[in-house]
Amino acid sequence: MGRLALRRLFFVLFVVWGVTLITFFLSRVVPGDPARLIAGPRASAAALAHIRATYGLDEPLLQQYLRYMSDLLHGDLGISFMTRRPVTQDLRTYFPATIELTVLALILGVVPAILAAMLAARRRASGVDQTVELTAVAGVSIPAFWLALLLQYLVGVKLGWLPITGRLAAGATPPPRLTGMYTVDGLLTGHLGTSVSAFEHMLLPAIALAAGVYGLMTRIVRASLLEVTGEDYVRTAEAKGLSRSRVMLRHILRNAMLPAVTILGLEFGVLAGGVFVVEYIFAFPGIGQYAFNAFAASDYNAIMGVTLLVAIMYTLTNLVVDLVYLYLDPRIRYA
Amino acid sequence: MMEEAAVSAAAAPPRAASGLRGVWAFVRASWLNALAVAIVSIVVLLALVGPLLLGSKANTADFADILRGPSSAHWMGTDNVGRDLFARVVAGARISLASAALIVLLAAPFGCALGILAGTIGGWVDEVLMRLTDLFFAFPAFVLAAAIAATLGPSLQHTIIAVAIVYWPWYARLARSQVLTLREREFVLAARVSGSSTLGIVARHMVRNVLPIVAIQMSADAGNAILSISALSFLGLGAQPPTPEWGTMMAGAQDYLQTAWWFLTFPGLTLTFTVLGFNLLGDGLRDWIDPRLRGVLRGGRV
Amino acid sequence: MTGEPLLSVLDLVVRFDTPQGEVHAVNGVSLDVGAGETVGLVGESGSGKSVTSLAVMGLLPSPAGRVASGRILFDGKDVIGLPERDLRKLRGKDISMVFQDPMSSLNPVITIGEQVTEILRAHEQIGKADARTRAADLLRQVGIPNAEEQLDRFPHQFSGGMRQRVMIAMALALHPRLLIADEPTTALDVTIQAQVLELLVALTRDLGTALLLISHDLGIMARVAQRIAVMYAGFVMETASTTELFADPRHPYTVGLLNSVPAIDDRGKELRPIEGAPPDLEDAPVGCPFAPRCAWRVEACWTTMPPLQPVAGGRGGTGIDHAAACHNPVTAEEVRGAAPLRPGFVPAPPPSGATAAAASEEPL
Repeated sequence: MGRLALRRLFFVLFVVWGVTLITFFLSRVVPGDPARLIAGPRASAAALAHIRATYGLDEPLLQQYLRYMSDLLHGDLGISFMTRRPVTQDLRTYFPATIELTVLALILGVVPAILAAMLAARRRASGVDQTVELTAVAGVSIPAFWLALLLQYLVGVKLGWLPITGRLAAGATPPPRLTGMYTVDGLLTGHLGTSVSAFEHMLLPAIALAAGVYGLMTRIVRASLLEVTGEDYVRTAEAKGLSRSRVMLRHILRNAMLPAVTILGLEFGVLAGGVFVVEYIFAFPGIGQYAFNAFAASDYNAIMGVTLLVAIMYTLTNLVVDLVYLYLDPRIRYA
Repeated sequence: MMEEAAVSAAAAPPRAASGLRGVWAFVRASWLNALAVAIVSIVVLLALVGPLLLGSKANTADFADILRGPSSAHWMGTDNVGRDLFARVVAGARISLASAALIVLLAAPFGCALGILAGTIGGWVDEVLMRLTDLFFAFPAFVLAAAIAATLGPSLQHTIIAVAIVYWPWYARLARSQVLTLREREFVLAARVSGSSTLGIVARHMVRNVLPIVAIQMSADAGNAILSISALSFLGLGAQPPTPEWGTMMAGAQDYLQTAWWFLTFPGLTLTFTVLGFNLLGDGLRDWIDPRLRGVLRGGRV
Repeated sequence: MTGEPLLSVLDLVVRFDTPQGEVHAVNGVSLDVGAGETVGLVGESGSGKSVTSLAVMGLLPSPAGRVASGRILFDGKDVIGLPERDLRKLRGKDISMVFQDPMSSLNPVITIGEQVTEILRAHEQIGKADARTRAADLLRQVGIPNAEEQLDRFPHQFSGGMRQRVMIAMALALHPRLLIADEPTTALDVTIQAQVLELLVALTRDLGTALLLISHDLGIMARVAQRIAVMYAGFVMETASTTELFADPRHPYTVGLLNSVPAIDDRGKELRPIEGAPPDLEDAPVGCPFAPRCAWRVEACWTTMPPLQPVAGGRGGTGIDHAAACHNPVTAEEVRGAAPLRPGFVPAPPPSGATAAAASEEPL
């Protein structure tokens, strides 16, 4: 098992390196002149030249890349042109917001998915089953941005139940920073009201994201449940006279969720795409919005930083998920 | 796991679904299938016929008629410059379907060709391809597509290219695994003993075994492609106004949500239904031809 | 056999609904198992013996499998139609089951210890520690060494024979009145088979548990069972005490079965299989299902299934509790030769209009 993990780690490193290469050259091709963006439309030629020299924008591409890589290895992602802050600092500020949002979206998606899958598997091939199937397909078919807008309008504006922008109400102070996630920090430092407010602000965007999660998860879990329920050891469990809940939880679900765990990596990919758009719509200050602004401003460093972060997280998540799966299966753990 | 399922799929001949009788049997198998076929048929019909009938209504502005609600004159109401929304939505159908078809027709043959090549030649060619596809898979699909589209410059054509670039690695992997399993099969070894080249054998058998799987993946991808194009256009990276692309329309409709709900709702509804239809079709086809493929093909959304 | 039998299956009919049509798995099976008795249910694959046992436990795969008619009386109470809650109380505690393949019958991701303790804790109020101690005892009883350590291991770390021992331990943990063993040794290595069988017999005898042993292997039956029921195509064809069945079989199928097993001194002689193949269970049975392959068949065999009726005694056998479902039973002299010895006797041809498949089967 250890050797497997090592191989995967090397793989991650290779991928990350490949990512830096691709994104570097991609970002340099993005149209727009960052020097002008930094300096403003009325800057003089001398000022522009000065900026270019400072940021190394006039050097040959390869040299820029090498400089970037050496900085990277020192943990320096450069300065963002838009925010004038180090990219690493920006990421530290905005990433936790996205984490809390995606975790909430995952929960809101996975829990109903499991319940729906159980319902469908129970009454296989019935009308109920097919209806659940339909809801699952609908979940992956609804555009996240459309759902987000509808939710924003219907629930936020018309009904006024939930806020529609930001992480907290305008003018509110965030809780003291421990993790950067407002809900968690609020709870840990006793600012319950802030925690609740942060949660409310996340709810609509999370629901918009959860639809896709639900759609994907339901069908996988259903298929897995059906397969497991037909297994001999479930029959043995029934023959032992175990209670229905025990058979379902300990024997069926426990085994059925194993393959579903590997899907979590895929879910992350779905969420990453959705976060981009949903944060934009809800003006939610997370990585997605940061990335969007970075692209719009041709902010090389920010673009690189975000892309690297996303790629690393994605690859790492898949790696962790695979390892967890291997760990959970005793047949592999105690081979 | 994907490889094993692909093996067994390669072993079973695809279900006979010849012509109209096959279609009728497919429809009768489940109401979801029927729904899928109905939706896709309607959308295709609209896309083909609609613009011919409605002509220039999609582009005729009428400032006297701005933001009118649905009525007998304008079934879906009008947009912010008085154009008939229904006509625009129908025009959008043509754009979306054509784009999706292009994407799939670009990605699939290219990807399959590379995959077959890698699988047949093996060695370092195979290694290179695998690492390349790994790199592509390292990115969440939508993010990569957005990045490429942003790089190339906002336009519909560029988003089509971007999405095709994101999709091809999957086809390459699919085709490659099919070739690998075919290579090991006994009849290939037997044919080689009698003198045929591996490529020739593979080429002959590929069609029968790979085509169904690829076809299913293509129909599933069609739905997601439409979704991606619309999402990218919504963000401003794709079709630009006044092109009546659904995503572009919805971007423009954001500001009018409170005063003209139909402007946002109808394009979105149509988009959802279209994607739903294609997804159901992809699922139904997959279950029809070989239910064991459930884990093999890419599902969900980009 | 005195008093009411512990288990009484009466005219059980089980059907399966499949996309291809209805499968007639069990077509009218009646059998009894007395308290503490060991009864063997023998038949080839597809004879319906496993399905019968699943029906007794209420474990038919639903909704496809269903009991179409008949009764299953356990301790005088009909098990069919019993609410799930009551069935769960019976299962594991009063009736338990051991299945054929111990690898797939044990949950691969849960420790052996937990799988044993969970049956204890499901039916009794018992703490975790006590359950663990008892589980270790049970493992020792079935001959697993280092029981205490083995509790924390997983099924894939055991050999096939050990796994089956674990299954037996679980099945007998609560001293059930009836144990159903469906091909318990078939999936095991030959050398292990005898050991496990011995264990099964010894434990059930010590606990006074009735044993319904299901197998296709007559040899096992001869050693273990007190009475045997022979099944074919969803019907019970003959039942008798073991000695009687081997000494004085009456049903042509039983005769064929016994003769198809080569004896140690048959060296050099040809094997004598029963010609033909079992019928397709998708077709509803018309007449006796064995007719196409039967050398004793008469006209009635094609049209009516004979009921299971007591045979005439006094041919070297006692005839007690010996019943056969046959219009034209085998006589004592004919047993050895596996063919009728009556001059001028020709097996009745199928009635006109009978299926071509039936007509193409050649008799013995």
